[in-house]
Amino acid sequence: MLVSILHRATGDGMALVGLAGLVWWLGALASGPEAYGTFLWAATSPVGYVVLIGLTWAFFTHMASGLRHFVLDIGAGYELDANRFWSIASPIIAIVLTVLVWAFILIRDGGLG
Amino acid sequence: MGNGTSLGRVRGLGSAHDGAHHWLTHRFTAIANLVLMTWFIVSLLALGDYSYASVSAWLAKPLVAVPMILLVANLFWHAQMGLTVLIEDYIHETGSKFGLLTLLNIAALGGGAYAAFSVATLAFGA
Repeated sequence: MLVSILHRATGDGMALVGLAGLVWWLGALASGPEAYGTFLWAATSPVGYVVLIGLTWAFFTHMASGLRHFVLDIGAGYELDANRFWSIASPIIAIVLTVLVWAFILIRDGGLG
Repeated sequence: MGNGTSLGRVRGLGSAHDGAHHWLTHRFTAIANLVLMTWFIVSLLALGDYSYASVSAWLAKPLVAVPMILLVANLFWHAQMGLTVLIEDYIHETGSKFGLLTLLNIAALGGGAYAAFSVATLAFGA
């Protein structure tokens, strides 16, 4: 139940916020250093980090529950124990992957700067 | 909607009135997104330097520009399909549904075209 609504919320959230960010990023790159500077300023502001970390979490959550959906779509994983296990594991795997990605960025580079 | 076979009794029901092709295409684009997003995240982490010079030079390479354009097209396609289902599920008034679906398709095509053109601009060195 929670995993199902999380799948829709993260997917549609990324469709609106994530794609707007992607379009801004690529458009700023094509427009030149000044426009890209504005994008980088926004991306490395506190709000920018919250959005980027939120999008990373949304992506991994959508990916984990999406992979779970693929298994359910082929008719497997409906046994109560297995179903329950993966419904709990999917969002946890997503949080772990999000932490790993941002730990990598922060430890290696100290941020996006 | 027929009343004969089991299939005939359910065909055309549901908020969208059809959907097997939509459902399958949503999954085909999900698989492509899984591959392309893995490439995108690993490449961005490997790049490390996110300055204008570094990112624009990286994006201009053919083996980066092409998968990036594919990623843009595939993301917008998959997102358009997901938002279509959202609108069909929650907007029940015919006129509003038609209007929102129209806006969605304009935004998805426009956003995708702008993003793909931006990558092409960098790749062709304008």
